[in-house]
Amino acid sequence: MAPDILDTLVSAETPEGILLELRPAGLTARCYAFLLDQLIKLAVIYLFEILAIFAGGIGLGLALILLFALEWLYPVVFELSRWGATPGKRSLGLRVIMDNGLPVTPAASLTRNLLRAADWLPFLYGFAVVSMLMRRDFKRLGDIAAATLVVYQPRPATRIATTDIPPLAPAIALAPSDQAAVIALAARASRLTGERLDELAALAAPVSGDAGSSGPHVTRRVLGVAQWFLGRR
Amino acid sequence: MTPLQFEQRYQPEWDELQTLLRKLRRPHFSWRETPDQQSSGGERIAALYRRACEQLALARARAYPAYLTERLEELTAEAHQLIYQQAELGLGRLKRMVATDFPRAVRAHAVYVWIALAVFALPTLVLGCLVYFRPELILSVVDGAQAVEYERMYSSAAESIGRTRDAQGDWYMFGFYIRNNIGIAFQCFAGGLFAGLGSLFFLAFNGAFGGAIAGYLTEKGLGPTFYSFVVTHSAFELTAIVLSGAAGLRIGHAILVPGRRTRVQSLVVAAKESTVIIYGVFAFLLIAAAVEAFWSSATWMPPAMKYGVAALCWTGVIAYLTLQGRGAR
Repeated sequence: MAPDILDTLVSAETPEGILLELRPAGLTARCYAFLLDQLIKLAVIYLFEILAIFAGGIGLGLALILLFALEWLYPVVFELSRWGATPGKRSLGLRVIMDNGLPVTPAASLTRNLLRAADWLPFLYGFAVVSMLMRRDFKRLGDIAAATLVVYQPRPATRIATTDIPPLAPAIALAPSDQAAVIALAARASRLTGERLDELAALAAPVSGDAGSSGPHVTRRVLGVAQWFLGRR
Repeated sequence: MTPLQFEQRYQPEWDELQTLLRKLRRPHFSWRETPDQQSSGGERIAALYRRACEQLALARARAYPAYLTERLEELTAEAHQLIYQQAELGLGRLKRMVATDFPRAVRAHAVYVWIALAVFALPTLVLGCLVYFRPELILSVVDGAQAVEYERMYSSAAESIGRTRDAQGDWYMFGFYIRNNIGIAFQCFAGGLFAGLGSLFFLAFNGAFGGAIAGYLTEKGLGPTFYSFVVTHSAFELTAIVLSGAAGLRIGHAILVPGRRTRVQSLVVAAKESTVIIYGVFAFLLIAAAVEAFWSSATWMPPAMKYGVAALCWTGVIAYLTLQGRGAR
């Protein structure tokens, strides 16, 4: 099935027998998150060192401890916080979770961040990049060992606006999956440009008996059929 | 049932679950539980969660519109995270870790610990002897300037041993040791991911390096200062490096010989079990850094006292790793 190949969704089954759908984040998003985190760390250590100069040996010692903490513990602390992500990841809407959909555990977070030292090789995350590009769930080596996933925070789907469009009985009988496709079009309607919506609606035109024609009026009729499928009469 | 009827019928339940979850999620600003939090009964959440799961399964089977299934998916995912989360943090957990889990994990990995010890100690001894009898070999480990620097650091004239420093230098060195030594130990662990080769390399490399320096300084007659300096903190530091190497070897072994699991499953299990050792390693290295910076370097103390304390530390560490937590269930 084509959608299967294209989609990178990971399903985690809960004890209740439902599948949670997790959307792993790819290389680009994680690169940006990583760079943001590096900038934050750099800013923190820079500020601290300016202050540390005045404190002499103690200041420099604390600066080194801070450097250590930023290097190894910064991600662990943030991943175990309420947000489940470092500030960099959070700003991109990412989150670290266990690959069974649960919040990341302290042991797993520590593992994935210590194994960063292995991911980091050969140069600047060479193994991590190779591993992420070769896997559908974009895990780096640390993620594989810790059984964690970096996923997109789910965003609520837009509701279908209860528009003024009157419901319209479909011209042909449709299978449930086709009905779902028409409804999904209606759900996306508010996010599409008018022209694109018309184009897409033209493809679905047979359902309202307008096969072959297109334009705003056809779109209205197709959306009317969607309203019908939703249960409005 | 049409999607709209479905939504109208169950909407109140979803909203109730949502508000209950929100209540639980809210950070606890006050230490005492508010009546509000007490009344957000777990039973009700569990019941609503199961119903939501059922409704999600129905909604998917009937191909209901995406906004409905996604609403339910979001709701169930949130509840699932809250209901099945593992509370691993806390003082009780820490106590159990110190009292039983860590020493037990070390004993469970005894084979790896012995191998790691051999890989670490053999190069130490070999290079130590080689450099002792042929001091010019030190130049194959460090360059001339560094050798001179080491010699100066441990010369009996230095006012504090280790690296030269002023009064506030102790703090500086504390930071230095934390950053440097814990980094080395973590590398020994992470190297295990390359079929254990990385761990073997870092263990042997650090062993050989330490051995060469020790052999060189002994040959120069600086043995007394050097050994009285390293003997105390090495109880924690060398143990920690060997233990993290052992944890790395466990991971490498799990990848090479996964047994009846798949390689990935085997790796996940090995990582989970050996991470317990890393918790202890981390604590050991913090102790080692503190001892090294504030105790080992002090010159006012007679060497006899240092050796006495060191003997206590070594006995303590070995006894802790071999005996602690044997009886407990």
